[in-house]
Amino acid sequence: MSLHLSTVALRAALVAGIAAAPVLFGTSPAAAQAFTPDSAIVQGLQASVSNVPTVSAEALKGLALAHMQYSGPPQSRPPLAIQLDQLAQINVEIEFDLNSAMVKPASYRTLGAIADAMHNPVLLGYKFLVVGNTDATGTREYNMKLSQERSDAVVQALATTFRVDPRRLESVGLGQEALQDTRNPDAAINRRVQIFNIGSTGVLAP
Amino acid sequence: MKRVGFVLAALLALAGGQAEAQTVSYAQAAGLLAQHCGDDIMKLCRGLNLGNGAIHACLAQNAGHLSPACAANHEGIRQMTEARAAAQKEVYKVCDRDRAQYCPGLVPGDGNIVSCLLEASKVVSGACTASLVNAGYTQQ
Repeated sequence: MSLHLSTVALRAALVAGIAAAPVLFGTSPAAAQAFTPDSAIVQGLQASVSNVPTVSAEALKGLALAHMQYSGPPQSRPPLAIQLDQLAQINVEIEFDLNSAMVKPASYRTLGAIADAMHNPVLLGYKFLVVGNTDATGTREYNMKLSQERSDAVVQALATTFRVDPRRLESVGLGQEALQDTRNPDAAINRRVQIFNIGSTGVLAP
Repeated sequence: MKRVGFVLAALLALAGGQAEAQTVSYAQAAGLLAQHCGDDIMKLCRGLNLGNGAIHACLAQNAGHLSPACAANHEGIRQMTEARAAAQKEVYKVCDRDRAQYCPGLVPGDGNIVSCLLEASKVVSGACTASLVNAGYTQQ
């Protein structure tokens, strides 16, 4: 429960940081403030425990597809059979165009801030899993496809425009199979992109 | 172009007295793109994404239809992102001798190299320090 809360707190910090960003263009804030949003993301993604479970995009996708067999209402379905709470993670709010994998310009700064965090010295040695989730509106198959396209779009921007080594990135869409709020399956909180630190890269050939 | 020069100068001034970085963060550049070209992108480049240069290619192709602010700034903003990327790539070349000297256990390609160089910041070469600052890895 505390882990869940800390994730929410980090998201709040992230949103607050981004909301405060226009200060950058204001009079003359302390230099340190300019780095607050980035440091909140970095803090969230720093590996907190050394002995983290192994998680891959492929394994998560398999679990999500298997989860589609539960045909009852979202509230009655069991959670995905995987323990992700132990991984360092953040939830980010990235706005997509309706029924599209297009990231809206309003969220470009967030994408850049995620890239800055992944280039931060303390995170340079780690790999990250980008996970797309939808709410329960629409069919489960459609949501599975859309969320994959969205997480792919985020990873592609990070790997090309923002030069995060693609060997450090994995992408998976879970559709509506991993709702954050199962009691309110259509709630906005379920439409989210999660980023997990999935461990050390080891040495990557330059 | 002139406007971007002004914005860039303002950003660098705000980065603080001790920072001499010649580049801005990805977040700052991406925020500027949204600020100057957000409406143009929603109108002319709907469905496209930042990855693989698709947005900048679209803006370039639609040069005649852009708002004045976007037309004046989008290429300069693209160059900001490229400058930061180049600075980050450059670190490994500029600091390679320092890596060999002060981080003897770390081979090229190890993600811990930058952290090691920062820990050795008092002794690494001036060129390496400047390169680390430009890459956004440290502020001084």
